[in-house]
Amino acid sequence: MANLTWKAAAAKPAAAPAPAPAPNSDSGPVKRNRRRLPREWWVGYLLVAPFFLLFVAFTAYPMIYALELSFSNWHGAGALRWVGWSNYTYLLTNHDFWSSLGNSGVMWLLIVPAQTLGAIAAASVLTRSRLKFKKTLRTVVILPYVTPLAAMAQAFILIFDTDFGAVNAVLKFLGGPQVGWLTTTTWSKPSIALFIMWKTSGFALIIMLAAVQGIPPEVYEASALDGAGPIRTFFSVTVPLMRRSIGFFVVVSTLGISQMFLEPFMITKGGPYNSSTTSGEYLYGHIASSDLGTGAANSFLLVLLVFLLSLGAVRVLRSKED
Amino acid sequence: MTTDTHVLAGTHAGTTRRPTPFQRLGRFGGYAAMLLAALVFLYPLLWMVGSSFKPGASILNDPLGFNPFHATLRNWTGMFDNIPVLRALANTAIVVVFKGGLLLVLSPLAGYGFAKFDFPFKEALFGLVLLTLMLPTLVLIIPLLLEMSQLNWVNSYQALILPGAVDAFSVFWMRQTISQIPDELLDAARIDGCGPLRAFRSVIVPVLRPSLAALAVLSLFNIYNDLVWPIVAINDQSHETLAVLLAGLTSDVSGGQSGVSSADLWGQLMAACTFATVPTVLLFVFLQRHFIRGLLAGSSR
Repeated sequence: MANLTWKAAAAKPAAAPAPAPAPNSDSGPVKRNRRRLPREWWVGYLLVAPFFLLFVAFTAYPMIYALELSFSNWHGAGALRWVGWSNYTYLLTNHDFWSSLGNSGVMWLLIVPAQTLGAIAAASVLTRSRLKFKKTLRTVVILPYVTPLAAMAQAFILIFDTDFGAVNAVLKFLGGPQVGWLTTTTWSKPSIALFIMWKTSGFALIIMLAAVQGIPPEVYEASALDGAGPIRTFFSVTVPLMRRSIGFFVVVSTLGISQMFLEPFMITKGGPYNSSTTSGEYLYGHIASSDLGTGAANSFLLVLLVFLLSLGAVRVLRSKED
Repeated sequence: MTTDTHVLAGTHAGTTRRPTPFQRLGRFGGYAAMLLAALVFLYPLLWMVGSSFKPGASILNDPLGFNPFHATLRNWTGMFDNIPVLRALANTAIVVVFKGGLLLVLSPLAGYGFAKFDFPFKEALFGLVLLTLMLPTLVLIIPLLLEMSQLNWVNSYQALILPGAVDAFSVFWMRQTISQIPDELLDAARIDGCGPLRAFRSVIVPVLRPSLAALAVLSLFNIYNDLVWPIVAINDQSHETLAVLLAGLTSDVSGGQSGVSSADLWGQLMAACTFATVPTVLLFVFLQRHFIRGLLAGSSR
């Protein structure tokens, strides 16, 4: 044992008791590598400890607290009052809760399919074409992704303003109608979806560019030899070979949309008439009105939904891989 | 022409030595599409910057035009008088430095512990971390807010810095990267008499440098732009970050501040937004290599 100790470890008298046997020392081929490493279990603990302290204090403990809260009636003062499942039944029978989920669903439909297909198409065209300025275009498209959401949402509000906005000015110039982009129930969701697509398409493009560049060119040769046209090639070569990246992007954006809160909060405050109250924005409403028990229950319902969605996505991806 | 490029040219109807008129048309269309896309993605940014230099009235009356001869700094001077952007920027800088510092030190250390050491319940602890990878941030907001008020930390730098400082994804990423470093290197360091921390500094960190740079750049942007938690945790001006300050500004003409006309309000708002956005754009242009590497590290999990 002494031969295997780190110098610093050996110098410390504190390393008193024999290290407890690791419960998972049978982890296959890794085992052989680890045996050559020091066995001072407490060094590992010390390295992980600072992170874990923060993790327990600001993630694990709040999680458990939130669970308790979701079964309580509490408005920010006084003692918690245990109310059983009533926060959950209240939400599950509440029209507003379901309509917030519906709004998020519509957002998903407006954003994810278009953005995914658009990014794949743009990535494959950019990779295979010989046009110049490809890198410049990539930089330009990612730029919105790194800008502060608060600032860009403010600019977006002014650009889409009904009376003084640039978009309606263009429409007026073209002889089109003046649209209440952010003030009508018809347009509030598409407008916010447009903002989100503007802001996040760069991320989609980066993911898809990396995926397209990972496809070996020989595959395209074979496809061309078989006489497949560009559209056929796109759907039966490019898309299937990018399955993993597409799956990753769809899962990430679905998670993002299921908790989308800042965009409607900044741009429309969820209105008009709750038409843009997404599930995240609805949850924030509970916080704003200090109805914290209901809010906690709402967040766990969202976690459940997110969990089921990811599980479903993993299923779909797995089944296609066979 | 080498055979290599020849093969490539054959796979798509792209350019050969002398483009046919049809191919020229295609290339022209390609550039036109690229230009259009660039305009769409840049326009809101350009409009914002442009409006910050326009006289208030013409932002409202002529949203599309920009006359450089009428450009003015009035919005900017008014903005610095009315909106505490400098203090907010200082607050943001404090949070970026401390939160980013914690992340950059603690997550590689934890990743090192998880990757290269054995200790009881390691897999269970790491499993717990992985579990929170999927956890929506929104779940934590309510209990964290209550925790902050119990600790008397509402409206404090601690509230902005500590929660979420070291996230599960960074630890996961660092562990993945460190476990690819061969144990032989560490063994050699040990034979040379290095302790575990010394080995970390002289063996792990040099190999980890590209990932650390990507992590640093990614978290720089994340922390600078972060809004979900700060907007809940902070409600006084003295601790507001830039993002919180901007989110609270109103462009509502009817609810404008006294003494500032609605037109001036818009101009000052756009000046403040430009003030917050320009640093991210400049930083991105210089750091984009690291940023993109960071994004892709996320996608390969």
